[in-house]
Amino acid sequence: MKTVFDTGNAAITEAAILAGLKFYSGYPITPATEIAENMSRRLPMAGGYYLQAEDETAAFHMAIGASLGGLRAMTSTSGPGYVLYADPYGWAIGSEIPVVILNAQRVGPVSGITGAPGQGEFYLSRYPTHGGNFETIVLAPDGVKEAFEMTIQAFRLSERFRTPVTILADQLVTDGWEAFQIPQDSYELEALGLPLPKRAVHWGPDFYPRSDDIDIPPVVLGRGTGGACSDWTPTEEGYDTEEIEAQMKHSYRLIYKIRNNRKLIDRSLLTGMEDDPPVVMVSYGSPSRVVRRAVKAARALGIRVGAISLKSLWPFQDDLFDQNRIHLVVELNHDGQLVREVQRASGGRVHFLGRCGELPTVTELLEIVRALFGGGRPRGIKNVREAW
Amino acid sequence: MTFRLEVLISGFGGQGVVLAGRALGLAAVHGGLESTMLVSHGTETRGGYVRSQVVISDEEIDSPVVEKADIFLALSQAAYDRFKHLAKNGLTLYESDLVVAKEDLTRQLAIPARKLAIEELGTELAANMIAMGQIARHLDVMPFAALQKAVAELSKRGAETNLAALGLGFNLELV
Amino acid sequence: MDGLFQKYLRPKKIPSTACSGCGLGQVHKRVLLAIDGLGLGVQDVIWGTGIGCAGRQTFNAWKGDNFAGTHGRVYALAAGLRMALPKEKKIVLTVGDGDAFGIGLKHLLHCARRNLDMTVIVADNFGYQSTGGQFGLTTPPGAVTDSSPYGLSETGWLGPDLDVLEILKAAGATFLARHLSLDGKPSVDNLKLALLNPGFSLVHFIFPCVTHFGAVSLAERDKPLILSWFKSVFNPAYGQDRGESFQKLKDRINPGFLKLKRGLYHDASGSRPDYSELLKAWTDTFRPDRAAPKEPGRAGSGEGAEP
Repeated sequence: MKTVFDTGNAAITEAAILAGLKFYSGYPITPATEIAENMSRRLPMAGGYYLQAEDETAAFHMAIGASLGGLRAMTSTSGPGYVLYADPYGWAIGSEIPVVILNAQRVGPVSGITGAPGQGEFYLSRYPTHGGNFETIVLAPDGVKEAFEMTIQAFRLSERFRTPVTILADQLVTDGWEAFQIPQDSYELEALGLPLPKRAVHWGPDFYPRSDDIDIPPVVLGRGTGGACSDWTPTEEGYDTEEIEAQMKHSYRLIYKIRNNRKLIDRSLLTGMEDDPPVVMVSYGSPSRVVRRAVKAARALGIRVGAISLKSLWPFQDDLFDQNRIHLVVELNHDGQLVREVQRASGGRVHFLGRCGELPTVTELLEIVRALFGGGRPRGIKNVREAW
Repeated sequence: MTFRLEVLISGFGGQGVVLAGRALGLAAVHGGLESTMLVSHGTETRGGYVRSQVVISDEEIDSPVVEKADIFLALSQAAYDRFKHLAKNGLTLYESDLVVAKEDLTRQLAIPARKLAIEELGTELAANMIAMGQIARHLDVMPFAALQKAVAELSKRGAETNLAALGLGFNLELV
Repeated sequence: MDGLFQKYLRPKKIPSTACSGCGLGQVHKRVLLAIDGLGLGVQDVIWGTGIGCAGRQTFNAWKGDNFAGTHGRVYALAAGLRMALPKEKKIVLTVGDGDAFGIGLKHLLHCARRNLDMTVIVADNFGYQSTGGQFGLTTPPGAVTDSSPYGLSETGWLGPDLDVLEILKAAGATFLARHLSLDGKPSVDNLKLALLNPGFSLVHFIFPCVTHFGAVSLAERDKPLILSWFKSVFNPAYGQDRGESFQKLKDRINPGFLKLKRGLYHDASGSRPDYSELLKAWTDTFRPDRAAPKEPGRAGSGEGAEP
């Protein structure tokens, strides 16, 4: 192991290379540019290719093309590029091609504030493309250390489930600095609980299984398998079809291969939940670290409050939420995205603290928690409202 | 006994604010500790600033945000004015050439880092390392050698000057 | 001919679902003849397709490996795939005029700029016919279509002073040719040269659409007459003797509007490298470093982080 002090961008680059990345394509965008820069410098050393695309749509398509040819592939961007991923995202979902996507979220809408952290693509990462009939896998690191580890996990999940995986980070995660360990060989990787993803070639004629099975190799072109994949609804052999029956089987697979194997994806960190506290803060990404500190501070004052830090966002972990608790959702947007999902999942009382461009402070979280205990409705506190 | 140390360094672009934070974070690694740093930039126009928030601990760091700075290094008036409230209970070091201090802080020391850098080392660029040396003087969580090692590693050129500056700052007795 | 189809195409895709009288099958056949003429097998070619008539009709017809991109994106897919394939493997893309010259033009130009080894066959039926017949980037000026009911007023990529192949040439394409689907051996010969070029090749085939372009823009149902009109695209003198009904078609849309050059347009085969091969070779020079990842600690932002 080697311990370094570096950025999330560097951690993601090193982790991807350790996971066997051989192809990266991207388009410069703040705050994900440094991943591209790091890739351009580091990837050749690992025998991989860096291709700078003409736009984000092409970048993702190139990554899919490389993955189709059997190379482990990745692309990264921020919100304005993530929307351009819509077209290839659907292609990769439908043809079941493994690709890892990193989104360093910034404040929006549109170009917004380039260098400020945001969390505006919570739902977009669930519905990154049109047409429905699919589930997505989305992981959310809260810092550099976790970004390192989750990047390797993302490659593994992407291979196992034959689907693109989004790492939904934010600017503080990618641009932030932290001490983290880099394993120097596969033995050290396994010691961290991060076995490397494997890649095999799927041999036909049945390229699209009609089941929820995972660990099926993806279609690879150029190996003489007679493989076929397209944007059309496929038959098992990969022919385009307009049969509704085939569409139903295809939809079933795309949805249930993920839903029925979600134990491999679900991840969260519970803090201060041992004594079933009446008030629970919910968050993901960099705000969750401030939230955990606030729990510690509150507990030191004798306030029974807990925190749920979501590490995987989609499929959403409904089981974590309980209608008998009061939930306070903390996220980096003013419109409230995670809060809707928590309200749906819990069916109980949910409050919302939205910040934009900067993290909330422990002080203000404590103030809100106190208000929730003292009668319940934190009216009059800036940026806090009850969920709808 | 666990500890959490919060250091806030702020000034304007070109003063080596980020490099100073990196040195501190890396020094913590050399000292066997955990560390985080957030870097942010204010607007480029009047009142702009660069800020490094460094947290060092002997256990897993939760929030990387500096809310109660143990040490605040202010290298510009804008930085001093904007962040001094975060260091009410900590120690504030401010660049005497560039900052006019207010009287409302309990513990603050003026450091003539820029002046010393020019007079002793012939370059203004070493001012940040003089200030870092002074910070190290007030830290008891890691040995000075850890910071020296980190600065040597991060100095692409001028490692000698940087280390000399570090030593100068470390041995400086301020009143 | 049956032998050729059986050798290279999947039985399920013969015959294709194209309209009767469509020229697409001829284009497809010319490509197969060129592949056969070069002695290539099903393992040697990876076949990609776009959207629209040209893409949908040819997708997964090839007995070997196949892929189809969303509209206009198959070039970017092929660019990534090129990096993963050994240079012996050929990529053939059959796409339409809307795909190549409309929605996908940017990606197409960047493939040409990098001179990526692929052969793009643009099967051009003068507009968006699979969606029912709207004008496109190669529709003749003045043509009445479902989206230009008063006659097409804007200029596309083909005209007396403008040729999309010129844009591709300027972008760096190393082999360009243009044919009518009815052209025989000359088009097969150019397709062979296109396939042999170790870089970006594009062959533009104009083919007759009888269902929409013929029926609406030429206002004609008689297939031989429609075919004759297409023959006169490259040869304005064609059909002088074909009588009044044919003259009516020529009056409706002047087939000479294009003043297009038929046959070879530009051949700079092998004149500059395929970027994917350059990148692979360059990456290979890092090989000795592969075993030990370099100083990950230096992967970060460095001093440039400050504004």
